[in-house]
Amino acid sequence: MQIFPPTPPLPVFPPCLSPGDKLCSVEDCIPGTGVYLRHGYIYSSLAGYVLRKNEGEELPVISVVRETETQLLPDVGAIVTCKVTSINPRFAKVHILYVGSTPLKDRFRGTIRKEDVRATEKDKVETYKSFRPGDIVLAKVISLGDVQSNYLLTTAENELGVVVAHSESGAQMVPISWCEMQCPRTHSKEFRKVARVQPEYLQA
Amino acid sequence: MGNVVQRRTRGALRRCPFEVCGNMAGLELLSDQGYRLDGRKATELRKVQARMGVFAQADGSAYLEQGNTKALAVVYGPHEMRGSRSRTRHDQAVINCQYSMATFSTAERKRRPHGDRKSTEMSLHLKQTFEAAVMTQLYPRSQIDIYVKILQSDGGNYSVCVNAATLAVIDAGIPMRDYVCACTVGFVDETPLADLCYAEESGGVSSLALALLPRGGQIALLQMDARLHQDHLEALIEAAMTACKGVSKVLDEVVRQHLQEVSVLTGE
Repeated sequence: MQIFPPTPPLPVFPPCLSPGDKLCSVEDCIPGTGVYLRHGYIYSSLAGYVLRKNEGEELPVISVVRETETQLLPDVGAIVTCKVTSINPRFAKVHILYVGSTPLKDRFRGTIRKEDVRATEKDKVETYKSFRPGDIVLAKVISLGDVQSNYLLTTAENELGVVVAHSESGAQMVPISWCEMQCPRTHSKEFRKVARVQPEYLQA
Repeated sequence: MGNVVQRRTRGALRRCPFEVCGNMAGLELLSDQGYRLDGRKATELRKVQARMGVFAQADGSAYLEQGNTKALAVVYGPHEMRGSRSRTRHDQAVINCQYSMATFSTAERKRRPHGDRKSTEMSLHLKQTFEAAVMTQLYPRSQIDIYVKILQSDGGNYSVCVNAATLAVIDAGIPMRDYVCACTVGFVDETPLADLCYAEESGGVSSLALALLPRGGQIALLQMDARLHQDHLEALIEAAMTACKGVSKVLDEVVRQHLQEVSVLTGE
């Protein structure tokens, strides 16, 4: 008969937590979001409810969540949805609207440089033929920028680029190739750097 | 002779009533039985009432009353740096505080609600206090705005602002290491008085304002600009810390109640 050692009792948490509440020691759980480490113990940093997830590793991940999600900031490597506000031979200025699928309460400003529009033939890019003001663009954050500049974004991938654009006559254009879109009303073609949206995201 | 008496009487009437009748019962800051002007004991705090989530438009807001002092705090953020871009910090968020008093908050209508020296100094103190508690490293290159407005001023302005702003920051969901609780204490007749009201503050009491992170016992800000003997300092700080811990219990209760109300509304 095998005798198993008694498992230590799981710490019991109060239903609501407030900042500064001690949760457990770092040996029992891995810290997630909404918590911080101090002197080997995990403390809550938000007012909310505790969430414990077992992600396959030995220790569960502990985090504190609220009903309303707090403001998310664009992080390096995140895919963002932005709207082009102005273009320039050297770069395009955009307003970042969504980070992933979370809408932002406040717009952040970003810049797509000429050399970050495409992966190939970077020096032959014309921003006027890639974006126009008012286009909705999928881009990736490459840098948070320094003191003077905004977030730096890139569309140098097949899946990144313009997703929604309006033609000069005002109708929403349909993509034809990776560099052209056509207006359904006037049948005129315009140049854009088009994003190749994955087939499963296209609605039939 | 008669003229001298008249002059003396006129002079006495012009002086502050507390100075003239200083030893009369009822106007003493601390009576022999240990009661203060408003009937509290030396270590007793004023009644604290608070509400969170007062405004829907702001990211976080709170209204707090401590006795007759009423303050409203509003938090926006974290959002992109506005104004002078040169103040952007690449590794943490910038906290921008503004303190102002409503024109109707004091006994005499306030001529200049913000922009004067005292408001600027208070704003700076609030900024220093919250930079110690808010985990700004999680939001590089962004800005958190905290606006506090005093609606009625009856002493302990700084403390009430800090307590109201703590609740507003928690309501906004910005991570903090701990609550920040503040209290103003004074020293009268070898006794520390906790949570001074306006009559006590202006009655020549050496007052000290302390902002504390209660669970760790860490002091975020300590401010005093009066004269106090060095031997009394330890006792005064000790009394301030006890008072702050009392305030933190009340704030904790408010936060938990608000959380339960919100979860009932969202049907969790």
